Order: sequence, then C-alpha cells, then structure tokens
Amino acid sequence: MAVAAAPDHLFHLRNNFYLGSFQAAINNSDLPNLSPDDAVERDCLVYRSYIALGSYQLVINEIDSAAATPLQAVKLLALYLSNPHDKESTIASLKEWLADPAIGSNALLRLIAGIVFMHEEDYIEALKLTNAGGTMELHALNVQIFIKMHRSDYAERQLRVMQQIDEDHTLTQLANAWLNLAVGGSKIQEAYLIFQDFSEKYPMTGLILNGKAVCCIHMGNFDEAETLLLEALNKDAKDPETLANLVVCGLHLGKSSSRYLSQLKLTHPEHILVKRASSAEDSFERAVQSVA
Amino acid sequence: MLTKFETKSNRVKGLSFHTKRPWILASLHSGVIQLWDYRMGTLIDRFDEHDGPVRGVHFHMSQPLFVSGGDDYKIKVWNYKLHRCLFTLLGHLDYIRTVQFHHEHPWIVSASDDQTIRIWNWQSRTCISVLTGHNHYVMCASFHPKEDLVVSASLDQTVRVWDVSSLKKKGASPADDILRLSQMNTDLFGGVDAVVKYVLEGHDRGVNWAAFHPTLPLIVSGADDRQVKLWRMNDTKAWEVDTLRGHMNNVSCVMFHAKQDIIVSNSEDKSIRVWDATKRTGLQTFRREHDRFWILAAHPEINLLAAGHDSGMIVFKLERERPAFAVSGDSLFYAKDRFLRYYDFSTQKETQIVPIRRAGSTTLNQCPRTLSYSPTENAVLICSDVDGGTYELYQIPKDSIGRSDLQEAKRGPGSSAIFVARNRFAVLDKSNNQVLIKNLKNEVVRKSGLPVPTDAIFYAGTGNLLCRSDDRVVVFDLQQRLVLGDLQAPFVKYVVWSSDMESVALLSKHSIIITSKKLVHQCTFHETIRVKSGAWDENGVFIYTTPNHIKYCLPNGDSGIIRTLDVPIYLTKVSGNKIFCLDRDGKNKTLVIDATEYIFKLSLLRKRYDHVMSMIRNSQLCGEAVIAYLQQKGFPEVALHFVKDEKTRFNLAIESGNIQIAVASAKEIDDKDHWYRLGVEALRQGNAGIVEYAYQRTKNFERLSFLYLINGNLEKLSKMLKIAEVKNDVMGQFHNALYLGDIQERVKILENAGHLPLAYVTASVHGLHDVAERLAAELGDDVPSFPEGKEPSLMPPAPIICGGDWPLLRVMKGIFEGGFDSTGRGAVDEEEEGADGDWGEDLDMVDSDGLQNGDVTAILEDGEVAEDNEEGGWDLEDLELPPEVETPRVNARSSVFVAPTPGMPVSQIWTQRSSLAADHAAAGNFDTAKRLLSRQLGIRNFTPLKSMFLDLHTGSHSYLRAFSSAPVVSLAVERGWSESASPNVRGPPALVFNFSQLDEKLKAGYKATTDGKFTEALRLFLNILHTIPLIVVESRREVDEVKELIIIAKEYVLGLQMELKRRELKDNPVRQQELAAYFTHCNLQMPHLRLALRNAMTICFKAKNLATAANFARRLLETNPNENHSKAARQVLQASERNMTDASQLNYDFRNPFVTCGATYVPIYRGQKDVSCPYCTTRFVPTQEGQLCTICDLAVIGADASGLLCSPSQIR
Repeated sequence: MAVAAAPDHLFHLRNNFYLGSFQAAINNSDLPNLSPDDAVERDCLVYRSYIALGSYQLVINEIDSAAATPLQAVKLLALYLSNPHDKESTIASLKEWLADPAIGSNALLRLIAGIVFMHEEDYIEALKLTNAGGTMELHALNVQIFIKMHRSDYAERQLRVMQQIDEDHTLTQLANAWLNLAVGGSKIQEAYLIFQDFSEKYPMTGLILNGKAVCCIHMGNFDEAETLLLEALNKDAKDPETLANLVVCGLHLGKSSSRYLSQLKLTHPEHILVKRASSAEDSFERAVQSVA
Repeated sequence: MLTKFETKSNRVKGLSFHTKRPWILASLHSGVIQLWDYRMGTLIDRFDEHDGPVRGVHFHMSQPLFVSGGDDYKIKVWNYKLHRCLFTLLGHLDYIRTVQFHHEHPWIVSASDDQTIRIWNWQSRTCISVLTGHNHYVMCASFHPKEDLVVSASLDQTVRVWDVSSLKKKGASPADDILRLSQMNTDLFGGVDAVVKYVLEGHDRGVNWAAFHPTLPLIVSGADDRQVKLWRMNDTKAWEVDTLRGHMNNVSCVMFHAKQDIIVSNSEDKSIRVWDATKRTGLQTFRREHDRFWILAAHPEINLLAAGHDSGMIVFKLERERPAFAVSGDSLFYAKDRFLRYYDFSTQKETQIVPIRRAGSTTLNQCPRTLSYSPTENAVLICSDVDGGTYELYQIPKDSIGRSDLQEAKRGPGSSAIFVARNRFAVLDKSNNQVLIKNLKNEVVRKSGLPVPTDAIFYAGTGNLLCRSDDRVVVFDLQQRLVLGDLQAPFVKYVVWSSDMESVALLSKHSIIITSKKLVHQCTFHETIRVKSGAWDENGVFIYTTPNHIKYCLPNGDSGIIRTLDVPIYLTKVSGNKIFCLDRDGKNKTLVIDATEYIFKLSLLRKRYDHVMSMIRNSQLCGEAVIAYLQQKGFPEVALHFVKDEKTRFNLAIESGNIQIAVASAKEIDDKDHWYRLGVEALRQGNAGIVEYAYQRTKNFERLSFLYLINGNLEKLSKMLKIAEVKNDVMGQFHNALYLGDIQERVKILENAGHLPLAYVTASVHGLHDVAERLAAELGDDVPSFPEGKEPSLMPPAPIICGGDWPLLRVMKGIFEGGFDSTGRGAVDEEEEGADGDWGEDLDMVDSDGLQNGDVTAILEDGEVAEDNEEGGWDLEDLELPPEVETPRVNARSSVFVAPTPGMPVSQIWTQRSSLAADHAAAGNFDTAKRLLSRQLGIRNFTPLKSMFLDLHTGSHSYLRAFSSAPVVSLAVERGWSESASPNVRGPPALVFNFSQLDEKLKAGYKATTDGKFTEALRLFLNILHTIPLIVVESRREVDEVKELIIIAKEYVLGLQMELKRRELKDNPVRQQELAAYFTHCNLQMPHLRLALRNAMTICFKAKNLATAANFARRLLETNPNENHSKAARQVLQASERNMTDASQLNYDFRNPFVTCGATYVPIYRGQKDVSCPYCTTRFVPTQEGQLCTICDLAVIGADASGLLCSPSQIR
C-alpha cells in the first residue's frame, strides 16, 4: 500500500476495456510518452478491444511474428476465436508456448490461455495456468472460472486477494459484482450498487447497463431490467447478452420475446442461451419418448 | 478566537457596541472617538472635541445618542445623526474613567479619579447624585442590567455595590414640593439618596474593573494584583467566591459572557483570557505580541466581543456559529447541540438522529466544522478541530431515526474528511500531504499523494477530490492520480456543487468563483463584505448570502440583491421561490423570496423567450431597473413591452429598430426632436415613406426636397417648388428648381429675385437665347462676360427609377409576436385533443358487436389474487450447499496447485430440493418434470406443454458478460428475492409463469367470450389449463384458487367446445338444440350464462320446442337481464305458455341435474356411472376411459394421479 504518486497513463484505456466500451478504448489509445512496457500493454488492450468487437482478422493481420510475446498471445486468441473449426492447432501452439520456460510464465499469455481453456470448458487446465495470479486480470479471470465451476467459496478467496491488492480497482469491483450475483441473496443489492457506482463514475456502457439489468432480474424487478436493457440495446443493437437478457425479461413479463430470440439466433448462434434452448428442445423430445 | 474586524489606531480606552446596527464606538487615548461599521469595515465618523484621552464611551440603547467622558473632566452627550455634541456635563474634578447610560431611566453614571461616582439626568442635564465613599480613583462604575444597583471598582482595593433605588422616587415626582424640600435637606446633609450597599474587600491592589452578571447575583472584578475575583451577593450581604489566577500583569477589564457560562478578561499582560465560570479554570488564552489590553465590550444581542489595546481594537467571536451541515437530495443533515439531526425539506420536519461525541477537552471551538454524508450507506462523517483535527464516522441504522443511544463512532485524526464514493472516504493527512482512502470500517484502503500542498479537501464528484492550497484549488482524480482541473483562487472556504454536479461555486472570504466541474472558470463575483453561504437553485442560478443580503449570481456574471437580511443565515437549499436555511442557533428556517427578477434575467440569458413573454404578460415585474437591464443587455425590444412612457418607448423602439412603434410614439409625443430622430432611423433603415412622413411633420422642406431628389420623385419635387413659391422662399425655390433641372424656372427665380446677371448667365449658358437677350437688354452695359472655353452645366441627371422604400431591414419581430402566437396555437391544439378523446369513446360504443358488454367488467371482480409473497419463502436453509468439507484445502499460491472439483450447478440444487414440476422444468430437467406431472396429474400428452417447458428453462438464467472475450457467465435467477435473503442459500428458480398472469388471461378469456370470439376464448382457456401444471404459488389459499381456476377454465373449455361444435352442425337442429342446452349448464359467469340462455332460448323457440324454450326464458329472467332481453324472454314465455309442447325430442332433462361428457357431449345424469380426467376433473362416459382427455388435452381419462402439486406449502 505504498503511496502511489505517478499518474497512471493507461488508466482510462484499461477502464474502458474492462467496462466494455471497446470503441472508446481504441479511439483514445493514442497516448503520448508511454514507456515501452506501457506501449506493449496499450497495444494489447487495443487489439483485445478489436477482438471483443469481433474484428479478429484485423488483429491477425496486424500482429506480425516479430511482435512481443503478449501481442503474440493476443493474436492466438484472435486465431482461436476466429476459427471455431480449427481450434486444435491453436491450442497446440498455445501449449507449446506455455511449455517454453522463457515465455511460458508471461502473465498475458497465461491469461489468454486461461480464456481459451475456459472456452474449451477445461477449467482445471485453465486454473493450472491462472491460479498463480500475478495481475489483476488473472485474478479476475480466476474469480470467473470459480464462478463457472460453482465454487463461490474459492471465488471469494480470490476476490479477497484482489481486495488486498487494490480494493477500488475496477476489476476488483467488477469481480465483486460477479461474485455477488453468483451467490445471490442480499448480495444482489451490493452488486447493483457497484454497477450503480460505475454508472455514476464512467460513461454508461452496455456492460454496465447489462450488469444493472441482471441485478434487477435477480431482484425480480423485470420492468426496470427491461428499461435498462432497451437502453443497452440502443447502444449496441447486436449485443448478445443484451438480447439474451431481453429474452429472459420478456418471458417473465409475459411479453413476446421471440424477435430478440431469433435475432440472437441469427447473429450469435453460438450463444449459451441459444445452445441451452436447442439442447432443451432435444431433451424435451427425449423425455417425451421416455415417458411415453 | 475568530477575528471579525481589526483597526489600527492610537490606544483604545473605551468601546461600545450599537444595539441594532453593526457599529462600534472606540474612544482613543488621542482624544478622538471613532465610529466604525465592523461589518463593512469602514470608519463612519469621528468625533474630536475632547481635550486629552477619552476613557469612557457608551451608546444609548434606543436613542441616536452616545456619551463619552475624558481626561478634560467633561462628559459629553452626542447625537450621531447630527454628527455633533449636544451638551457637556460638568462637575467632575478629575479624569473621567467610565460613562454609561441607564437602560431605561434618563441617567448616566460616571466614575472619576475625583473619588466620586456621579449619576446624571441627561434630560434635565443635571447631576442628580454624587456617590462618595471610595477613597482613591474610581476606575469603573456601571448600572445593574435589571436592578437598581451600581457596581464600582476603585484603586482603594475595594469594589462597592450601591443602592440607587431612592433616586427613582426622586425622579418620579419632581413637582412634589414637600419631597423636594426633604430632598434638599438630605442633599444638605451629605446626600443619602444613593447609599453603599456592600463593600467588597479582597483584592490586594487597586481594582480596575467590576461587572455584574446579567442574570445571577454575581460580580466579577479584576485588579492590579493580577487576579480576577468572583463575588456573590444576596439581600443582606456579599462575599468572595473564588479567585482566578493566571494573568501576569494588571487585569484591565473583566466581564461575564451573556450566553455562555464563561468569564472573559483582559490585561496589561497582552492577553485575553477565557475562564469557565463554573469550574473556574482557564479555558483559553489569546495573546498579542506587543499590545497591552485596556478594555472589553460585549455586544448586547449577538455573539460578538471587542477588545481595545495599545494600537487599536479587535472585534471577535469566541466560537464559530455556523452549523456543520450536508444536503443530500431532499434531506439535510446537520449538527446541533451535540446531536446529529435530520431535516426533511419536503415535510419540513426535523428529527434527532444520533448523539455525537462531546468534546473531551475543555477548549473552545470544538464544534463540528464540516459534515459529509453518504446516502447509500447512510453514513455521516463529522470533522472538528478537536486535537488538531479529528473526524468521526457515524453509521445511521436505517430504522433508528429518532433512536438516540450513543453509538461509538469510529474516529481518527485528520483535518478534513469527506466521502469520495458510496463506501469510501478520504482523510487529509496534512503532514505528509497525502490522503488516506478508508472504508466504512475505518480501515485504510489506499493512500495517495496530493499534487499540491493541500490544507483542506472537498468533495468533487465520485472518486475525485477538490484540494485547496493557499491560492489555488485543484480537482484531483484519486484513481488515475491525475489533476483534472486547476484554478487560481483566493483561499476557498466553502465549496457548493450544483445538483447535476456540472458547476461548482467556490466561496472565499470576499468572492465567489463559479466554475465547471473541471474548474474551468466561468465567472467571479466580488463582495465588499463576507460571503457566508450559498446554494444552487434548480435553474442553475447560484444564490448566496452575505451577513445582510441574499443575492443571486447568473451564469453570465450578472448578480443582484434578492432581499436584505437582519441576521446572518446559512443557505441549505433553494427550491423555486423557497429558500431553506439554518440560522445561528441551528434552527431550520424557510424564507420565501421573489425569484422573478433572476428567473427573468436567466430566461433572457438562455433565450427562453416564451418564459420571458409569460412573465411579461403576467406583469410580474417592471420598473426602471429592469428596463435599464434590458437595454444594457441588448434587449430593447423586450424592454419595449414594459414601458408606458412614450418617450422611453420611443427611445427603445429606435434602439431596437422597431419603426412602427417609434412612429406611434412619435405621433403621441409630436415634437420636432423626436420626429427628427425618427427620420434619421428610418433613413438608416431605408424606409423612405417614414422618412418623408417625419420630414413632413417637422416641415423640414430642405431635407424633404433632397429626399425627393434622391428618390427621383420629380412629381413631389415640383410640388415642393410650388410650396416654396407659396411660402415665398426664394432659396428653396431655387434649390428645387435646381434639383428638377428646370432652367426656365431657375432663370425666372433669379430674375424675380433681382439677380439679373446670374439669370442672364444661367439663361445663356443653357441656351435660352431669347430670354438671355431680353435680360441682356435689361442689363444694358452690365452684361457679364463668360470665362473662356468653359461650359458649366448644372443639370441633375435624370432619375432612372423613381423608388420609394428600399428593401427593408428585417426588424426583430419574431420573438414577441411569435410568443403570443405560439401560446394561441397551443390552446387550439388542446381543444382538438379534447375532441379526439370524445371520438375514442364514440368508437368504443360502435364496437360493441351486437352483444351486450356493459356490465362484464363489473362482474369480473372475483379475481382478487392475494399475493402472499412476503411471508416466508423457502425455508430450506438446512440444506446448505455446496459442501466444503471434502475439498482439499490448497494454498492458492503454493506451487503445487490442485484445482477444486466443480461445485454443484444451481439447477441441480433446484431439482434436488423440489418436487414441483415447474422447478424441474426450469432447471432443464424435463425428464423428471414429466415424471412428476404424469404421477401427480396423470398427464401423458406433453406436446402442448413444450413451449412452456422451454420458456421456463430459458427464463431461469440471466447472462452476464464478465471478462472480455471469456465465455459468458450464466446466472441462475431465483424467485422470491428479498433484501434480507442470505447469500449462498439457493432459492427456487424464478418462473416465467405466475398466477397473476393467468388471472389476466382469464379476464381476456371472459372478454373474448363476451365479444363472441369463441375460438380466441377457447385458446385462452386452454392456455390456462396448459399453464397451470407449471404454476407455483406460495400459500395454501392460492393453491385452492389455482384449483378453482382449473374448474372455471375446464367449464369454459367444455362449453366453448360444444358451442363451436354446434355452429359446425348446420343440418342437425336437434343436436344443435341439445348442445345449446348443455352449454347453459356449464358453470359460466352471469353475463355469459345470460348469453348462452338467450342463445338456447332462441334456437329452441325457432325449432318450436316451446316448453324447453320457456324453461330457458324463465332461467334467463332469473338472471335479471336488461330491458331488451327480459322483454324478449317474456314474449317467449307468453308464446310458449299457450302451447307447452316440444316439437322434437331432445336428450335434455333440465329437471334432472347432470354433467356433460367432455368427449361425447351427452349428459351424465346423477347416479350414472362416469370416469373423470385426473387433471381437469372433466367427467366422461365410462367408454372414454384410457383416452386422452379432450378438454385439457393433457391427461389420460381415468388415470391414477396423486393430485395437483403447485406450492411448496403443500409439501411441508
């Protein structure tokens, strides 16, 4: 808890990235007087923003083989996400790099690997790489993995580590909100307050609006959730989470949500809601067979 | 000590406050008496008539008088209004030390070095008593504030108390001769009218001062023995109580504080000391470097003291009186009398919340200075100067407003502390120039260095600080550690943010700076006196107070006075024309102000001309000031609307270029000057018509002619020529002729005027030879010669066009006419809308579809769904999951990492805990859900339930984008959430279907039935039947309601199916009648039953089944139908009574109770065998056993089932 004095040049960039205003992160990335390390981090954040916006090919094309390890890692992520049919080769090269003692412990590489393994639903493998921590992002990812594994007790421990490092860090707050939502009960309200704080401090983003909306859904306040989600939809009409949550909201409000659903099916056929719906349909048919 | 005012002068020996005005008199050793306004800091007057030092001075309580006494043995009474001495009282034989007016009698008491005290009547200007007894200089003498006593102090080491009650009698009846005689006697025998009551001995040296307590029988005295003594007296005696030691030199003056239990003394040791009067201990000492103190004075009403010393005087307060407060939305939190209090602006109620700590030390000025509030956490931070700066954190329990148990506050050192986020506050650590960010547990979360040497911090939006250093302020972002804004500003004392946090007002001692949130300067206001407080109104006007005014600041830098104040107040909130404030006693007050002026100016500034217009129309304001303002701000056209005075109107119209109004005003005024100015303006605008008119009105022919020339208006020009001719104006004639280019006329004029040579020249030059010759003849020898080679010609060019007005400038018109127009239009719009509404209603009536729908809504009132959601919920806490025991505990940081086993998904928990089909479906466990349904309700056909199952499943999770590019987190949504639900205890899933939705559907079904939309109605009722298996309700009562709903829906489905069937059967009248008859036996709502009965009656009547029709008619009449229907029913009844027979045989015996088979639609009379559907309970003829129920389309007829399970309360 040393007295920090130097201004943090990348603060806004990081914040924008974490809070989901990717375009703003990209637009405001032209920062003067960055140290080489900061510049690499800046580039990583910018490329990761492009990835988040779905511009995989741009990232793949722009990062050449001479770029620094973190950037290479980002490129791998873009490769992985852009080509769902050839994941194996990406994972193979990822594993190869991780095995290399020179670069294997690079935080961003581990982070990307963690994300990739999460997509593969190989949480154990992901945790092997990320559990050691080292950056706030890795800790936050750990929290998310534990939430995915329904181990909120572990997630809470990770969060406490984060809080000890910097309680007011955007990622700490976000991770806190995720965990609060995952454990439910009275914590939902705290999660809501966290998103509320964000909305007061920073420009509204789809992520913040969605976060608030999810809190409202969990509090049974579907009308407010719908209002928030429609606002989020105004910001990004194709945001899969907004659409998915709108579907859920619509169902609870007894309104027709089929348009949002078909929109989601069209733009994000891989979304978890779509997958759940189709697998539910299958299991319904199966169950009909078994009961009959 | 808070110094309010200081002067530099010769030694100050006497001081006196004015009762009402902010004035103080100071008498100097130099012989001058100064009158100061201590609020404005100005010297008002000086009175210089005494010869030598003036030691005593005193204001009269109510008259414009003061009295002074000096070393010239003179007592002078002055009138400060007349700026002169009224008279001088002579009698003392040595220096006069003090003088004082009596508070009600016309008396003055004076103390002198001649060892006497004299009492004077200043009305009769005589000495009425000489008090002798002291045997050294009398240093001071003063009246008791209430009783007939005088206290005096003398260098003879005594303090004496004198009884002067006998003087009153003396003054009361001066005309009484006998009394006067006896008085003369007593006077003769040494004056016994004022007698010594007590002699207080105890000081070892000469006593310099003695004073009464304002209410208690106490006296305080100070002497050259450096001691302050406290004395008490009763009716018979007086005695010494205690001695206050501490002064290092002669005590000059001492007094009781009127409002607090303290004694204030000053001394030649250059200090002022404050003593606790009860504990008799020193509280505080204020020292001056070089100046010995000589005199003290207290303000008779407000909390001010003054002290005179060797080189001037000071006016000061011992303690600040500004209450610490914080405004949050509609509530005000403030500290008063050791309590944190709460005030609600809307209800204007105040409540005591929690007691705050009593300052442990005994020094003064330990009251809370600032207060910061976090609304979400309901926490308050209070800062005070205790121990060099301390903050205290109080968390107010939500339910305990008004409960007043002493809460142990969390505290810490720091001169300022403020909330910077919901649950974070910043504490200034001045010595290291850093702030500590703490959480509500008072733990340091972070530390951050500050960019400038900071001595106070203020709030500046979430996560930001406004840091004040000596001459500047900066806004500092704590997270980025960046300076967001920086501004040079004189020592900022208070910071007031606008409610939208976009603007901030920085209040310094004598100025206000308004800036944006990033400290971009907008405007500065300077005051000559102190700025006390301020608040933003809703429109962005900053309202502030000085000690004597409430003023406003507009964003453009204009300011003005709203009203005057008698006492200083501290603004807390401005809302419309209401001003909320705290006064010095910490009382909430509401002032109503006239906001018109600044709202008007603001509207002008913001170009909200509609507001301006409405304010003008309601004539809420007028007056020279507003007109001047409008003119000055460039809105003469607006000012026009205020003014009645024609001259002003004219001026404004000219200024705004409004010619029409100017003409109208000019006509009214009708003087040359105004017409001239109108002409000038009209010319400027190119409005030739008006110019012409103006010139005509002023008979300004030269200009007129020239105007016509310029315009090429030859016709009028020739008229001008004629006019000039008529008027015999030769010059005018000539000009006009010249303008017209009419040579002959010119020659004629010249000739007539006797200028023959000129006429000749003109004629000959322009080739009028005959005329020239004639003139040459007349001239004879004097024919002028022509210069060689020149042919002057004075012919004006011929006008190309003859034009009137130029294209006129666009006159500023729009605003005002526009303003009126738009409001006019608005009114029309509203009327049209009203008409629309009526139309809508008309349409409603048209749409009634031949069926009566009047009273349906009224009947559908049984759907009161009581929602008992609050009670209980799920009490399943004993099943707490996930299990933590088996998991190996691994240090996350250790090198060998063993990942935890995945926990149990929430959906799995749901299925484990619930035996409700809906919960299983929501969890996606369709298999078990179906098993449950078939066991409970005998359901076998699940196809109709498919969409419900899928919706339940889809609606059970929400989706949270967590880490960018990482997979989305899906979160299980639980039902029955409440604020107090404990985390990590899983509730049952939130379901997309609920009972109230079904209720809506039921109503819609009823409506569709009434409207005759049977297919639609059938769909709705079927939907209800299909949804109920997946409904979950809380209470037992609701379970019963659900079961009732099944019956209702079932009856309607059966009825509607039969009715639809009937409509299909065109060629089987018997079956049609039967079905219509069975329909009337379904359990329907009254209006529907009525319709069914009417239907059946009509069909049977038409088919000549009169007996049956009569039965329906009778039943219809029993339902109290409306006029039309009952008439029809009566007619049917009449018709059939004549012939009680049925034309065809129906399978319908209305006397025998029956139910209708749901599949075959035949009556099953009581006693006949039947089977029923395990779910919807519809009955069927036995042959239908094993078939799928035709009503609900779900269950198997006659199957075994345990019954509907739709509430956890059924399981408990």
